[in-house]
Amino acid sequence: MKKIVFLIATALIFCSFTSDKNVAVPSGEKLVYAGSYNMSGLMTHLAQVTMSTETVTTAKNSYLHLNCELATFSKWDKFFKIRDIYESYVNPITLKPSLYKRSIDEGGYTKKEKYAFKGNAVTSTSKKRRQPETVKKFIIGAATQDVVSLLYKVRTVDFTKLKTGDIKSFKIIFDEKEIPVTLKYMGTETVKAGNLGNKNCYKLSIGAKTDALKGKDKNLIWLTADAKKVPALMKFSIPVGTGQLALTSATGI
Amino acid sequence: MRKTFLILSIIFVIISIIFSALPLDTLALLPIGISLILLFITFKKSEVNQRLLPKWLFIITYLCGIFVLGKTYLIKDEVAVDQQFEQQKIETKQEARQELEELENLE
Repeated sequence: MKKIVFLIATALIFCSFTSDKNVAVPSGEKLVYAGSYNMSGLMTHLAQVTMSTETVTTAKNSYLHLNCELATFSKWDKFFKIRDIYESYVNPITLKPSLYKRSIDEGGYTKKEKYAFKGNAVTSTSKKRRQPETVKKFIIGAATQDVVSLLYKVRTVDFTKLKTGDIKSFKIIFDEKEIPVTLKYMGTETVKAGNLGNKNCYKLSIGAKTDALKGKDKNLIWLTADAKKVPALMKFSIPVGTGQLALTSATGI
Repeated sequence: MRKTFLILSIIFVIISIIFSALPLDTLALLPIGISLILLFITFKKSEVNQRLLPKWLFIITYLCGIFVLGKTYLIKDEVAVDQQFEQQKIETKQEARQELEELENLE
């Protein structure tokens, strides 16, 4: 009897853990953002960012495909057309990446990058416009994520246990470099979250040892303070100015 | 002095018109703002009988501002359907599936 109870209890605990993790990043989720950049003191809508998830199955495994697309609004296309795809194929439960792909086309400048993860080893393939393809192999930390899967990994953090000022550390691999990233919990705030209305959100400050981000506590992300932890607003400060990504539509959450 | 500000005002009003006509969104508000400041100074430095040209330049600049704000708030932002991009996404996904299977076979 004890064994049966133990087995049921173990199964329930296991199910509760897996379902908890799945709730944070469900397959079929689609988040659409309006990307704005500060021009002459006003936020100007520049591009649409779409983050979507779907299940991809191979003969042996099932993966969660995390897709992040950036496309400039048609009014800008004649001046500076951007069509970027950042994608990651991850374990649906642990969100550990198996394959990361990046394809950018920014005003004619193109770059394709691919990271194939095998344990702690990464094989990267990079191809820039008018340059030969390069292949590199390197070792990363066991918990290192690619930039796309990190965005989703953050959503699995239990913020209810954090106090204002608490810091969580992560590591990402970007441009063939391992970069430490910190996430500082800054309390809760109510922000507009597109079709979800006004939502109480966890406010987080992103810090990274990279030249790409500027200022202290100027790169912020607001996640809805519920089980879904949908990114409602992201503000960034880069060397050439400031901008934001505001959620306009969330479906399949 | 008045002449210098008037010339600068005219230059910035022309830039404002060009920026407003082009799809540069709120970036056009920058020369419009500069034009308004220059025109205000020109207007203050002008005699009553010299204020006709600055007045008309003011009207043109205001119209540019209304036109830019109208475009910003009334025209919906849309992403054009890009067949090439859509095709690229399909191909990338197919390639990824093959690459994942190759990775699995290495294990």
